[in-house]
Parts: sequence; structure tokens; C-alpha cells
Amino acid sequence: MKEKIKEIMAAVFEINAADIKDSDDSTTIPNWDSLNQMNLIVALEEEFDVRFEDDEIVELTSLESIENSLKSK
Amino acid sequence: MEIKYSELLKLNKELKDGNSSEEYNIKILSNIIVNQLTQIVEYPLQKRGVNAIASCGNFDNIVQDSIQFNKSNCVLIFWELCNIVDGFQYKSNVLTESEKSAIIEKTKSEIDYTLTNLNSTSIVIINYFSTTVFNHQFIGRNNYDEICRELNNYLESKKTRNVVLFDIDKIFAKISVSSSVDFRNYYSSKTLYTLDFFEVYSSMITPIITSVFGKSKKALIFDCDNTLWKGILGEDGESGIEMSGKSAKGVFFEEVQFMAKELASRGIIIGLNSKNNPEDVKKVIKDHESMSLKESDIVIEKVNWNDKVSNLQNIAKELNIGLDSIVFIDDSDFEINLVKEYLQEVYTIQVPQNLYEYPSLFRKNIDLFYSILNTKDDAARVKSYKDQVVREQAKNSYGSINEYLESLDLEMIIYIDHKDLIERMAQLTQKTNQFNLTTKRYTFTQVEEFVKTNQYITFAFEVNDKFGKFGITGESFVSINGHEATIDTFLMSCRVLGRNIELKFLEELVLYLESKGITQIKSSYIKTQKNQQVEDFYERAGFTLTGDFGELKNYELNIKDQKKVAINYISVKYERKN
Repeated sequence: MKEKIKEIMAAVFEINAADIKDSDDSTTIPNWDSLNQMNLIVALEEEFDVRFEDDEIVELTSLESIENSLKSK
Repeated sequence: MEIKYSELLKLNKELKDGNSSEEYNIKILSNIIVNQLTQIVEYPLQKRGVNAIASCGNFDNIVQDSIQFNKSNCVLIFWELCNIVDGFQYKSNVLTESEKSAIIEKTKSEIDYTLTNLNSTSIVIINYFSTTVFNHQFIGRNNYDEICRELNNYLESKKTRNVVLFDIDKIFAKISVSSSVDFRNYYSSKTLYTLDFFEVYSSMITPIITSVFGKSKKALIFDCDNTLWKGILGEDGESGIEMSGKSAKGVFFEEVQFMAKELASRGIIIGLNSKNNPEDVKKVIKDHESMSLKESDIVIEKVNWNDKVSNLQNIAKELNIGLDSIVFIDDSDFEINLVKEYLQEVYTIQVPQNLYEYPSLFRKNIDLFYSILNTKDDAARVKSYKDQVVREQAKNSYGSINEYLESLDLEMIIYIDHKDLIERMAQLTQKTNQFNLTTKRYTFTQVEEFVKTNQYITFAFEVNDKFGKFGITGESFVSINGHEATIDTFLMSCRVLGRNIELKFLEELVLYLESKGITQIKSSYIKTQKNQQVEDFYERAGFTLTGDFGELKNYELNIKDQKKVAINYISVKYERKN
């Protein structure tokens, strides 16, 4: 799952998936702004066929939190 | 979405990285957040070779952005009624009359500013205001609907030629309101539309943009049996085929024939490519009471026992259009696959098994022929293409080509800086691909500027012969700098090729410039995928090559050195009207 998340992050943030570290979050990835955050969310929802509620979305600002949230769905 | 969003982002990036053609800038102005649209709008255009680069303006800043971004190639506007005033979908219904009219007046003046600022932008696509997202839930109409209607009427009254008003209700109808909107982040961050909505929006506006790149289809070619009528003429006979609205199976074909007739009236070439006895088909078209398409609508007939691939190639050749301008409709798997196999450029439509789906499938493809400009020459073009086919046949009965050309009584009328022709001149720059030396696309406003200013002279010509009129079929825009002139644009519709009209026109153009004190003319050829046939045009016309950069060749002509081409079978008249 982690690799798939990285692939999607790579597409949204226009970076290489291989360069994404497990510890990366919105403070370490320059293109991760609030607009791209929405793009990331809709891309993840489509890929994993899930839906995040608005309260969750604001928390999903790191690879780790995204992975944990997806696992709990 | 048809492909996943993340996949689209990846593919789009690859296409953009590999696309070296000139950037086509699209700016999206909006009063809601639509930033996911940028790449979704780029992708189908990138797939068609247009190097579209889209970006969003500032949030809720449509008027100011319209000044800042009016140099973009295309502007898309998402002006949402619910946000013209914060919470307008509910506040609008309790306004006093004076509050209501104040908001309407404010919005109208914003529309005015925006449209004025974008007056010179080549394409502006504005969504009609819509109440559907909120008001589809109940029967009654309210203030919100009334205001919406008034603003839409206003938009229509202010619409200029470069503006396309787009009906987003069609998207809601296609994929439902609930698939189109997501309120999850509307109240917090003003995002409203879903990826699915953007995908449909993008697919619907793509033909508008590609039409200015000369990518619209020009010809619609029908097989006859089970395509224009139900049944097989050779077996069922003239009385056994059905295409009447009164017959159970014929009604689908009547509907398709009517839609084809409408396309013919817009200047689309309708043709036949059918395995049948030509006399039988001719008789049906001429005499069958249920035929809605008439002889006058059908430009070219390849009714014979040859294979359909060669017929299509001949159609392209005789009409002087590219194979990629042709749409071919047939009912047979075999024929459709044969064409797909050998002529990938031809767009094919197969008549569906369930005949009641045929008219709907036809409608779905109508935008292939989309053109942003509609001129009165369009309708005349059908007649002109027909005359061309008669001419091709006449060619065979003359000994030499010159003898034939002399017999045509060719006449050329040259119009200089003619205001009534601006729209047609702009359309020619957008549609002409093959005989086009520089392939520069111009909008109405740009051509209007050329006509007005003294720095440019615009020449447009009309050609007539004894078989009929071609209308305005060629033009040239020349910039003037002292005693030197530069040919910016020189193009001709391929319908009039093969008559040396291009050489006569160039000769006249040189004579005219000479009479205005010009001594030196510069010109160039810019290579595209489609204009190889004019690669050596200026050499043939006696210009000297001064620079060859592969994709670009520069030429010069000292007028006093020009050799006359001695074409005496084309008479020339001048018209100048301002």
C-alpha cells in the first residue's frame, strides 16, 4: 500500500516516487500545499475506493498518517 | 473518470515533456476553487498534439484577472451564481427588490468589464449561470432562478464572436448532479465540482479549442445500405428500402438523414462510399419520396464495386482534403475494420445493432465537426465542392490541361482591406492546413486590426468559373515597412488548386505592392505536417532563397527582377470597400 501511496504522491506533487521517504510530510515536500492536498485526497479516494471525511482530511498531511488512515478503512 | 486521476497526471506530464510545439495557454478564471481542472483540461488537448498549458487565476478575482490574462490563447470562466455573493443560493431568496436589483446590476457591470477586457482573447468559454446544483431538489421556482435567468439573458445579449457560452446543465444531465458536485469542502474551501464533472466538461470543450487548430472534421461519408436507409438496395429493390419517418425501421434513418442535412447546411461535405450499382443509387437519391438528403446535399459519390479504402483515398484526393478530415459511417464489421486497418486517420462510426441507438450515436459525434465561426460561405461551400466534382469529370475531355483551364472562364476578384470579409478571413487562417505557407492562426479581432491599420494590407480573393462560384478561397496578409513588404500569411483553400490561381494571385499581389512604392518583398515558408506541397512555392514563383533552417525558409524578391508568369486565362478584378 505504501508504494501505491508514494506513486500517487509522486504524480500529484510532480516528484519521483523513489525520492519519497517514509517520514515525509507536508513540511518536507515543497509542492504539498493546501490545493495539492485536495488533489492528493481525491486521487487517493479514487485509487483506494474510500472516502475521507472533512475532519480527517486536515489530519492527512504525512505519508504515515495517510497510510494509517487507509488501513483503518 | 475513464482513467484514474493520478494516472492522468502522470500521462499528462509525459505528454507535456515530449511536446515541443508552441504553448497554448489556457487561463481558468473562477469564483470557486477549480484547480483540479487544469490538468484534466490539458490532457485531451495534449493527446491531440496541442501543447495546452492551463492554470488558474486568483480565487474570486474574475474581473481583475480578465485584465491580467487577456493575452492567453483561451480563457475559461467558472462564474458560480452561488458565490456571486457569499451564500447566494439561500440569501437570494429573502432579498428586497432593491437589494436584488443592486446585486444584479453589480454582476452585470462585472460581466461588462470582463467581456470588454477579454475582447481580444481568441477563445473565451463562459459557463451559463445555473441553479441546478441547489434547485433541482424541488418543484418551485424562486428568486435564485429568476436572477439566474436574467443574468443569462444578459450574457447572451453581450456575447461577442470570441465567446462561447457553455451550458453546464448538460453535464448534470449526462452524469447526474450528485456525481458532479461534492459539498464536503464547499463550505470550508469553496471546491464544488468532482473529477467526473471536470472530465466531462473537458471532453465537451475540447472540440471548441481543437477547431481553431484546423482539427475539425470536414466530410461525412456514408455507406448507403443500412446506413442511409434500412435494407439492401440491390436485394430489396427501391420499394423495399425504408427511410421514412412513418416506417418502424425507417424512422431512425430519417432522423440521421435530417441531421446530415443540417451538417450540409453548415458546409460539411456529405458523400457516399458504397458497393452498389451507381444508377440504382442515383435513382433513389433523385426520385425516392422518402429520401430527405437530396442530390444537392451530396457532394461526392463513390458508388461502385471498388474497395472502400481506395474510394476514401479518392474522395480525399478529389476534394483535396486530408484523410484525417473524414468521418466514415458503415454498418458492416468488415468494412469498418478494413478502413481502421488501412486508413487510421479516418474516423469511423459503425451503425449499432439496435437501430434506435443510431440517431443518438450520430448526435454524440456531431461535435467532431464543431466550428467556432459560422459564415455564410459555409453553405455555399457544398455547392462549390459539387462543382469541383463536375470539373474533375470535364478535365478528361480536353487535350491539354491548359486547354482545359482556358475553357473554364476563370475569374478572380481581389478584395483589399475589406471589412465584410474579416470573419471569413479569420476562418480561413484557422481552417487551412495544406496550401498555407506559414499556418498562422488568427482571430476575428486580429484580422480586424490588420484591416484597419496601415501597417498591414489584407488581400482576399474570390474565384468563379463557368461551373460556379467558389466564394472567398484565398488570402494574404502583408506587413509594410517603408519600401519593404513582408508576406505574413499566404494561403489558399485546396478547392481551387490546380488552376495556377496561386501564381496569378501572387503576381497580382506583387503588382499591387509595386504600385504602392514597394521595391523589396520578404516571405517565408514554415513547415508543418500538412503543408509540404507548398515547400517550393516561392522558388517556383521566382523568389530567391535567403535562409534555409529546415523547418523555416526565408525568401526575398526584388520587384524589378520579377518574371511575369503569363497566365492569361484568369481575368482579374479589384474591389476595395471600407
